[in-house]
Amino acid sequence: MASALEQFVNTVRTSSSHGNFRELCEYINKSSEILIKHSQHLDNVLETLDIQQHSLGILAVLCAKFSVQPAANSTDNRFTQAQDFILNCNGEQIRFAPDTFAELCHSLTNYLVEQKQPLKGIVLLQKAISKLRLYDSQLTSIHADLCKLCLLAKCFKPALELLNIDITGICQELTQNPNGPQFDSKYFLLYYYYGGMIYLAVRNLDRALYFFEVAITTPSLAVSHIMLEAFKKYILVSLLLHGKIQAIPKYASQVVTRFIKPLSQPYYELANAFTSNNTAELNAVLNKHSEIFNRDHNMGLVKQVSSVLYKKNIQRLTKTFLTLSLSDVASRVGLSSPVEAENHILQMIEKQQIFATINQKDGMVVFRDEPDKYSGPEVLKGLEEQLSLCMELDRQILAMDEEIQVNPQYVKKSSGLQDEEQPKSTYAM
Amino acid sequence: MVVNGNNKLAEDLERQELEAPNGVPSPQVYQQLLAIYLYQNDLCNAKYLWKRIPPTVKASTPELVNIWAVGQSMWTRDFPAIYKALNAVTWSDTVAEIMKQVQEVVRARAVDLISQAYSSISLEAVSAMTGLSPEVCIPACAERGWNFDADTKMIRPIRQVIEHLGQTSSEDQLSKLTDFVSFLEN
Repeated sequence: MASALEQFVNTVRTSSSHGNFRELCEYINKSSEILIKHSQHLDNVLETLDIQQHSLGILAVLCAKFSVQPAANSTDNRFTQAQDFILNCNGEQIRFAPDTFAELCHSLTNYLVEQKQPLKGIVLLQKAISKLRLYDSQLTSIHADLCKLCLLAKCFKPALELLNIDITGICQELTQNPNGPQFDSKYFLLYYYYGGMIYLAVRNLDRALYFFEVAITTPSLAVSHIMLEAFKKYILVSLLLHGKIQAIPKYASQVVTRFIKPLSQPYYELANAFTSNNTAELNAVLNKHSEIFNRDHNMGLVKQVSSVLYKKNIQRLTKTFLTLSLSDVASRVGLSSPVEAENHILQMIEKQQIFATINQKDGMVVFRDEPDKYSGPEVLKGLEEQLSLCMELDRQILAMDEEIQVNPQYVKKSSGLQDEEQPKSTYAM
Repeated sequence: MVVNGNNKLAEDLERQELEAPNGVPSPQVYQQLLAIYLYQNDLCNAKYLWKRIPPTVKASTPELVNIWAVGQSMWTRDFPAIYKALNAVTWSDTVAEIMKQVQEVVRARAVDLISQAYSSISLEAVSAMTGLSPEVCIPACAERGWNFDADTKMIRPIRQVIEHLGQTSSEDQLSKLTDFVSFLEN
């Protein structure tokens, strides 16, 4: 074994046994080049280290192994090694090097994507997240990796467990940053973009819209591709859910209105056609821009939008008419036959989107008023849930406010301001 | 009880799938999981499960194709096709019990929907939506108090008011109210 590697092993061992993890992290960050240079001997290094006691050392070696292609004649044992490491490593140690640990997970994700076996990594990344985060609602950059694997594996339940927890804190992984610890915004955006897509896949439009909204309102100075794609999907989902483009929150960056909007022109045309309630017009836009929609991989959503227009038009009929024949419904909405209209109405009744009764004998529909929904225990239950959410939010805000109040920088700044103002005010008097 | 049993089985199967070496569990896992998703009317997850089953497994286990045929008909809400797909094959022991339950819940949903959506409906339509022959339908409807007019062959369903159960104890509500008030006052 080359002497440089021997020195690495020795440093890892002594620092770990003395508990000097912070210094060890610095040393490890500097030694990645040495490790990569001697990549053929790394398995020997691994054998000399203990997975619990020298987690940081092993982490560095595994990262180096993932950054070079394995030699053609050796077997690729990287997955099993990484698996073993994530399942058995020492959580306290790896939290000293969250950036390196996250990097390992990113490499593992890319590796599995290349191998086309995303399903294998899902349990592993769940475990990795639970080791890295300090509390359940903390975001790590591994969240985005897990969502990516779930999307590729078409297996969403594991990701939903994470996505259903609202994020209240961010794990500041880039500890080596000169301007203080930070979190790479790419993974933040990816998490919300992938998350939105997962909610779309399981037809949870409300949450999907919220996730895309977070993605497009992230403060930024330049156009990010992730934001642009999220914006396009935001338009489509808000058409599906609300029948119009939901107003973009005021706190969104200027970038959104100035650059991203012009880049999503076809989607605006689609939205305009949709709000005009004209099926023919909508289809014309759809055909005109079908190439763009296909290229953006949004064709499925666009088609859903066009089918929702029929439902929206039927819903509008309920505002004007009390009874209508099925054939009238068909002709007013633009459906080809009364049978098709009946099918649509039946679906909408099942989903409680309209309240109506079909009379097959006379071929008529009777639209009814919405039954009184504002009494009974379930309304109370809903109210209770909303209230406890509000109380939780209030608690969060108070806690954040308190945190800022005792922040030394803030205290210094605000007291400094007062000092400056003080003489002024006395002067004025 | 059955509902809980199936939900638990589903969780168990989902875990088995995730932990399977190479990401491919035995075909039985896929079969049962797919059938349970149909039973839960969780068509999204059923669809994605179908999509992620490797083609080789699909080819070696023709029953998976049969189960998904039911799911496809459910997706398009084609009631006659659902019953046809359910009864066209004899299910193996792995899924027979679950598929029987699938048929029951589909029929229960159809009956609910009829009572919600129709003030009069032809006997044929009822028969198609429930998968029961007209001779069976007439007494079954009579049992629910639905009027059958033999001349026009029309059935008049009675709308059911859906009752929501789940009363909380008054003490529980009182403590919640106290929480709310103390929150709002402060």
